[in-house]
Formats: sequence, structure tokens, C-alpha cells
Amino acid sequence: MRERLYFNNCLTTPIANEVMAAMEPYLLENYYPENFNKTGTKIVEQLEIWKNMVAKTIGADDKEIHFTSGGTLANNIAIKGYLLANAGKGNHIICSVIDYPDILANAAFFESSGYEVTYLNADKEGFIDLKQLRESIRPETILFMTTLVNHTVGTIQPIKKIREILNSADHYIAIHSDACEAYGRIAVNIREMGIDMMSVSGHKIYGPQSSGFLYVDKKIKLAQLIHGIKRLDDLQTGGISVANIAGLVKAIELIFQDFHSYHSHLKQMSAYFLDKVNSEIPHVILNGPTGNSRAPHNLNLTFEYIEGEAIMMMLDYYNISVATGSACASQGLKPNYVLQALGKTLEQSHGSIKFTFSRYTTTEELDQLIIKLKEVVGKLRENSTLQPDK
Amino acid sequence: MKMEYSDKVMEHFMNPRNRGSIENPDACATEGSPACGDQVKVFLNINPETLIIEDVKFQSYGCASNIATGSIITEMAKGKTLEEAKKIDWKEAAQALDGLPPIKMHCSVLAVDTLRSAIKNYELEHNLAEKEEFSKKVILEELEKIIYPQVGKNLVELKMVKYVGFEDGVAIIDLYIPEFDAYRDNIAEEVKEHLERYPEIKDIKITM
Repeated sequence: MRERLYFNNCLTTPIANEVMAAMEPYLLENYYPENFNKTGTKIVEQLEIWKNMVAKTIGADDKEIHFTSGGTLANNIAIKGYLLANAGKGNHIICSVIDYPDILANAAFFESSGYEVTYLNADKEGFIDLKQLRESIRPETILFMTTLVNHTVGTIQPIKKIREILNSADHYIAIHSDACEAYGRIAVNIREMGIDMMSVSGHKIYGPQSSGFLYVDKKIKLAQLIHGIKRLDDLQTGGISVANIAGLVKAIELIFQDFHSYHSHLKQMSAYFLDKVNSEIPHVILNGPTGNSRAPHNLNLTFEYIEGEAIMMMLDYYNISVATGSACASQGLKPNYVLQALGKTLEQSHGSIKFTFSRYTTTEELDQLIIKLKEVVGKLRENSTLQPDK
Repeated sequence: MKMEYSDKVMEHFMNPRNRGSIENPDACATEGSPACGDQVKVFLNINPETLIIEDVKFQSYGCASNIATGSIITEMAKGKTLEEAKKIDWKEAAQALDGLPPIKMHCSVLAVDTLRSAIKNYELEHNLAEKEEFSKKVILEELEKIIYPQVGKNLVELKMVKYVGFEDGVAIIDLYIPEFDAYRDNIAEEVKEHLERYPEIKDIKITM
């Protein structure tokens, strides 16, 4: 049993032991592939094998995979690279108000540089407004960006339907998807989904921090964003840690050697925990969708009449890690923007706790969590100024 | 910037003193709002002869530091006369907890403010004080309760208030906050929240 019960796997996952073992040789013999010597040429060959392995997990070709130093970098290389390469074709971008900050920050950047951005609304379960999407398409629209699995409430966006709608335009509109929450947790096939660019982060799938990859469809041209010496990749030039790539690929291999049972484990953990909460703790609201349109590892719950930072800190005192959407726990003292966009009240945002599970989560851990959670919620409610109407 | 709670904050948060309510209290007050994320309610029993606070309890909706500051101010107020208790200020309360992260200083202000409101309610009810006429002084006092999160000091102290006026029910406030300041909107919002509860104020004009 781990000393700390960790249910914040949406933030980062623990690194797998197998991943660390896979990285070690490359840390100790850290040569670059450009070298035309034994180690250098071996790494070049190895990189091709790795790209091929990664490509297979999303139905892509190996030439479409670019290793990067993380998800945010992949997002920036894709979004900025695509918009710069297609600057003459249009200046309109579509995304949604509930997207991951990487997407929103890039949208804001281009907005301030003269682009027009349509921010689609979301419904109360976190699905973007498809009618609004259809109506937003203009001749100048060149890019649609989406967070495939919402980072706050786990909503899986109906990407195939989105692709159909975009295809109804007279010209091509590319899709960039931030799949950092999605990849490895739900099945992703880029051809079936019609995704042109997709970013993945290694440290959310038990890989090392500062690792990730970007998928770019071979028909898509990106402008070079990072100029420098070509080492491992033409899009992210300069040095990328070979050890991190080795770790990332090992992490991917571990997930996809038995994706089905991994996926169902996450699903079982969520169902088990939600069931326990519902039977043990009253006045709890599930934020986001239910069923198959929710990612299997995410439960976002509002505990009414109390505030989330207090719940989080009290659980932290007992060595249990969770996340909250309360303004009191954010650096900017703002309530969670996704929950606000879903029409939750300020109190419902403040009282929200996000539990995200991993392959290491066990029912024993969840039993311990529920005991402490029940105690914490009871204690805070007992002394709250807010009480349920009797 | 210090982010972590002190051991003393955690201790008061995990084991708050004087938690709960008093049935038929001699005085009580509620400040803050759940929509803003924190609310405190203070109950007092006061000896009418000596004006000593004989019993005090609090309830809270809010974060760990909200609960800890509620706990500490009740501990500090118990056994004090009303005059003494009125003098407890938020810096003193924060110090008694071995400090608070700057971003959490407003919790201390809220807790102290609630205690003072409860005392005021008692004084008004027992004709120990007269209702203060509304003037721009009240507005200035409210601005002193608003803490700039990054440094944990109030707007007046930080010389962020350039002008305060009150004319025909309109409160006019000119603040010095640069456009790029991350807390700009939060502060404007908080100023509004603080002033909106005064029926004398019909409109609030904030310029920055």
C-alpha cells in the first residue's frame, strides 16, 4: 500500500517502474542519434521502431508521429504551426469556452494578433454546442480546436459528428485535438475520428514528465515554429531527451498491451467509488455526463453546503490527494471556468472535488478514501453556515 | 510567495475551537457569502453588567484558513470586554496563527469583521452605540477590508485607492490597479460586493 492515496491522476500520473527501467540505459549512455557511430545509429533505428509502435496505437503512420517535450509544446507546435502555414487561407478559428488552457491561451494569442475566434458554448454535461458549431463556420474558418476529453468533467466530445459538420463546409477545416486526458484512457483512432493534429502528454499515462508526442496527418503542413539544429525531430528541433522518449514509449506499450482490461479497470474503479459515495454521503451532485460519453477515470463531484478547498486540505492532512474547482484553491481566486460554463452555481463550483483514478487504484484504496471522505464531509457540514432545508 | 499553511493554521482547521452555534444568543452576525466562497457566522453571549464576552461560537462555510481564522478569533475574544474584543484586528489574528499565506489574508479580515459586526449588533440593540451616519468614511472602511491577494495587504494600505466619493447615493471609487494585474477583476468584484449591502448606496462607479 502506498503511503499517500493519490486520486489526482488528471494532474499527473505516478511514473511506472517499468518506465524508469526503460529510461535508465538512455540516461547512462545519453548519446544523440546524429552521431554516425554505433550508439548514434542504433538510436536512429530505435526511434523508427518507437514511432511505429506509437503510430499503431492511434491508427497513424510512423511518419506522422513527432516526439515532443510534453503536451503543451505539442499543442503550440500544432496550433501556431498550422495557423502560420495557412495564414493566407483564413483568419477564423473555432474552439469552446471549456477547452484546456493550452487551447484557450493560444486562441487568445491569435485573437490579439488579429484572428477571429468563436468560442462555442457547452451544455450542462460538457458537450459543445454542435448547432452553434454549424452556424459558426465561415469561408475564413481554417481551424477547429477541441479538448477530446474534458480535463474537468471528463466529457468525451463527439468528434466524429464534429468532423461531419466541418466537412459540410465548402473548404477544408482542420481539427487539432488536445488528447492529453483522452489518449490511453479511451480508444482513439485518428482516421475514424477525422483528427488532423493531436497532442499527447507522457506524464498523464505513467510516463516521464516533459515527454509527449504530436500526431500530424501527412497531408497537413505546419510552419516551423522552433528553429534550430535537427536532432530527433523536424518540428521540435534541438535536443529532446532520448531517455524521456524511451520512457514514453514504454508507458504506451504498458497501456496498449492490454488496453481493454486497463480501460475496464478505470471504469470499475469509478463505478465502485460513485456507488459508495451515493450510498454513504447525501447531497452530492455528479458534474458532467454519465455512461459511455464520460472518460473512465474521472469523477467530478460537488459536496453541497461546504467548500472544496477545506475538503481537499482535510483529505491532504490524511495523506489523500484530490483536486478542487473552488476559487479558494486557485491562484487567481476564481471558480473553475468549466463548471461555470456548464451552468453550475458558484457554490457548486466551490464545493467540487475531482477524483481521477489510475491503473494503480484499488478498491481497498477507495474503501479508505470513502471512510475519510465521509468523516471530512460530515465534520465540515456540521459546522457550516449552510444547511440543507429541513 | 509563501503558499503553505502554518502548523498552527492546520491545527485550528482540524480542531476548531468554539465551533457550532448558541441557541438564543445575545448577539450574532453573518458576513461574507457562499457565492464568493467564504462565509462566517459568530454567536455571542455577553454579560450585561460587565460587558464581557462569556461565550462565543462560530460557524463557517469556507476554506481551511477561513475555518482557522474563525477558530482563532473566537479564542481571542472569549473573556474579553466588548471594547477589548473590538480592538482585535486581522493582522493580530493572522499572527496568532503564525501567519497566513498572503492570498489567504482576506479570511482573517472576514473573521474579524464578523466578530465586530456581532459586537456592533449587540451595542445597537442595547443602546450602547448609535447607528453611524453613512458617509464616504464607511466606504473607506470597507476598502480597508479588501486585501490585495498577492501581498496580503489592504487596498488603502497599499495606496491603491486614489479617490473615494459619495454623492446622491453614488459611490465613486478610483483605484490604481494596472491593466495587466491578474487580480484586477477580482478586486473590482469584491469592492462591489462590499458596498452593495449598504442600502444607502444606489450605484457604484469604479474607475481604474
